[in-house]
Amino acid sequence: MIKEIIIRRNLIRELVLKNLKIRYSKSLLGFLWAFLSPFLIVLIFYLVFSLILNVKTEEAPFILYLMSGVFTWRFFQDSLMCSMTSLVDNKNLIRESNFPHYLIPLSIVLANAIVFLPSLFILLIASLVSLKGLPIFVLFLPFILVIHLVISIGLSIIFSVLYVKWRDIKYILEVVLLLLFYLTPAFYSIRLVKSSFPPPLFVLYLYDPFVCILNLYRISILKGFYVVVKNEMGIISMFFITVGVAIAVLGLVYYLYRKNKNSINDYLSY
Amino acid sequence: MITYPTKAVQDNIQLKAILLDSVSKKYPLVKNLGKDINTDFEDFWALKDASFEVYKGEILGIIGRNGAGKTTLLNIIAGVLSPTQGTVSVNGRALGLFNLGVGFQDELTGRENIFLNGAILGASRAELEEKLDSIVEFSELGDFINMPLGSYSQGMRLRLGFSIVTNLDFDILVIDEVLAVGDVLFQNKCFQKLMDFRRLGKTLIITTQSMDLIERLCDKALLLDHGHLLFYGDTLGGINRYRSLLNTEKFFVGPVQKERELIEDTKKWADDISGWGRELGTKEVMIESVEFRNKFGWRSNTIKSGEPLNIRVDFNARDSVKEPHFGIAIFRNDGVYCYGPNTAFDGYSIAELKPGKGYFILNFPKLLLAPGEYRISVAIWDKNETLAFNYHEGYYKLTIMGNNSTNELLKFSFKFPLTRHSYKLLQFFKRNDSFPDINLLNNRWGECIETEGLRLVSIKLLDGFNKEKNTFMTNGTVKLKIDFDGLRTLDHNSCLWVGIFREDAIYCQGIAAPLQRIKNFVISFPKLPLLPGSYRISIGIWDTKVKRFLICHHGIYPLKIVFDHRDHGTIYLKHKWHIGGH
Repeated sequence: MIKEIIIRRNLIRELVLKNLKIRYSKSLLGFLWAFLSPFLIVLIFYLVFSLILNVKTEEAPFILYLMSGVFTWRFFQDSLMCSMTSLVDNKNLIRESNFPHYLIPLSIVLANAIVFLPSLFILLIASLVSLKGLPIFVLFLPFILVIHLVISIGLSIIFSVLYVKWRDIKYILEVVLLLLFYLTPAFYSIRLVKSSFPPPLFVLYLYDPFVCILNLYRISILKGFYVVVKNEMGIISMFFITVGVAIAVLGLVYYLYRKNKNSINDYLSY
Repeated sequence: MITYPTKAVQDNIQLKAILLDSVSKKYPLVKNLGKDINTDFEDFWALKDASFEVYKGEILGIIGRNGAGKTTLLNIIAGVLSPTQGTVSVNGRALGLFNLGVGFQDELTGRENIFLNGAILGASRAELEEKLDSIVEFSELGDFINMPLGSYSQGMRLRLGFSIVTNLDFDILVIDEVLAVGDVLFQNKCFQKLMDFRRLGKTLIITTQSMDLIERLCDKALLLDHGHLLFYGDTLGGINRYRSLLNTEKFFVGPVQKERELIEDTKKWADDISGWGRELGTKEVMIESVEFRNKFGWRSNTIKSGEPLNIRVDFNARDSVKEPHFGIAIFRNDGVYCYGPNTAFDGYSIAELKPGKGYFILNFPKLLLAPGEYRISVAIWDKNETLAFNYHEGYYKLTIMGNNSTNELLKFSFKFPLTRHSYKLLQFFKRNDSFPDINLLNNRWGECIETEGLRLVSIKLLDGFNKEKNTFMTNGTVKLKIDFDGLRTLDHNSCLWVGIFREDAIYCQGIAAPLQRIKNFVISFPKLPLLPGSYRISIGIWDTKVKRFLICHHGIYPLKIVFDHRDHGTIYLKHKWHIGGH
């Protein structure tokens, strides 16, 4: 599979370009929406949680905390939701030639990543300015990104292949993603979870790979964040968990794709 | 000239390009919410036990009714679908052209789609950059290439899809019933390209409902019915089997019995004079030279009206072709189709052209065209005139010398009662060039001009037995009986004019003769060579001194011509074919 990806890198580039072009071709503001829409969402969350509900976070300033949570989650959720239907949406493309199907969800996640990177960069600048510096862990940021990307790509491929046969999973996934979003500490403090959950449940909570990834992002971006959460879980174990999940996902992708690749086109016929 | 071998033969062993071994295909069943699903459908096999092999450089045509499994089979060969049972081995890179390039993205421009589609078909960016120009050129899309695909018509999508696929490297090309969408010119271009591929030893597999195409293009035919392979072998056998299969069902489809019907109209204009000077066709036979010879047998493309003309065409067949037909068409410079005889209309049958040189001659004993500039097209067609092997469209110029200020089309013979005195008058008119000026009648089509005291009483069309009619046969006798009232008031400067026009106001021929206070005239055409269609007759009296029409009924009297012989053009010109060299 990896060899195939390298051989077909031209196709991946074309697919990514196609994705971005189609997404922003007809809108007036074009690529600007890539920045605008996550910021608008952050603004709404900020209004609701900070001004109305008066949520406080001791780990970092609330707005930065919120941005890091929402941006990373939106990248993951958009990638998954867009690529899940991608095989069905692009069936005309797929039925034209015998090319590996997984390149389509892969290209969608990559396109989403390209949209995600600028907002991550803005977050870095904001954190640098308001916290007067970046943590040393910022050097890990590329690794974290790669892990996040691999998990997103893997899950996208899995769900897109499953969706070809079972269209129900679209609705299931919508609900599951909503649940997972509330389970990750995007807009509330981890301390809050610790105080309200019984200890065994809290440990389980910390093992949630999405919680780990979000924590890793925050550790590498927000200065002073690691000191606050160090007691809960170390950065090494966070890495172990996420890398482990990524490998498991890739294994599942390999198994599932091998098993289904010949029948995908049959199901795409109708 | 380079000639390619028709088939890729390596040490006399043909290479297998595709090998199918008892291939079957069943589509997975999608469970319906309704419980009363037809259980028989679960065992629906789109393809069952298909085994065959295709050799390199062959063109295989797959025929069968809708839903017979043709597209499934093509998809399996192209690797888009995988067989449920059996094995497929494909030797080389296979590309497919299905569903009219539905893989195109409406939001992207033609150019962006070339890169995306090319990448899907496995081409690298560099390869596509290199071939971009030839893809755009072949598709003839011009500036449309920078427009979003959404603005394209089906035909334009086909053009783009076909251009992309055929410009990439492949060994096997699979084409589903898509070519029918293109116009005739583009289809011919496609077929020319396909023939080039065959000469290069590439394998082609096509499906179409056009049996003519199958017969014309394919080396072998494969007949599918309800997923079963009914026939695999020579083209004609496959087509006959398919016909008999169709005839067993409710409707009788073919072969069509040809009835000898009267032809009521012919093609009277060139398709598109901007295409003149073009060379089209699949080039299995190439026209090498075309010569015009005058009455002395000398090469000349200038002759006098009414003189004999020989057109000699030398050709070279690159492949052997079955049942070819030769055609030559004469157009006036403005696109009026004068005459287009071909060997099919004239009932010649040529069984086969073997590879090598040959020639044919078309002889006109009397070319009755009026002076002017003409263009000649020369074509070698297949049996049904669907595809040209080679077509030189308006390639050759022919000049007929003389003065023709009124833009007549022809000079055919007629009889007019002349006394000695009126003959002298006619000579006098000719010398003084005082014949009717029909340019005065411009924009007066369908109008009647009459001067006081002078009236056209009646005009009758009679056949050879003096019976009144308004429908005549080509080359039949036509008599015009004309009665005037009030002719006594005229002096001998008046002249009778009769014009024959096509219904679209193209002036075929005019006749002018002095009037001598005769009240009725009979003008007779012993052999009126007009081809089927509707014509109008104009009649006028011209005052040669004042140079105006005293009476003119312009384009009023209809004349209908039918013929029992298929032809193209406006006039029948007597001709003979000589076919030699084979």
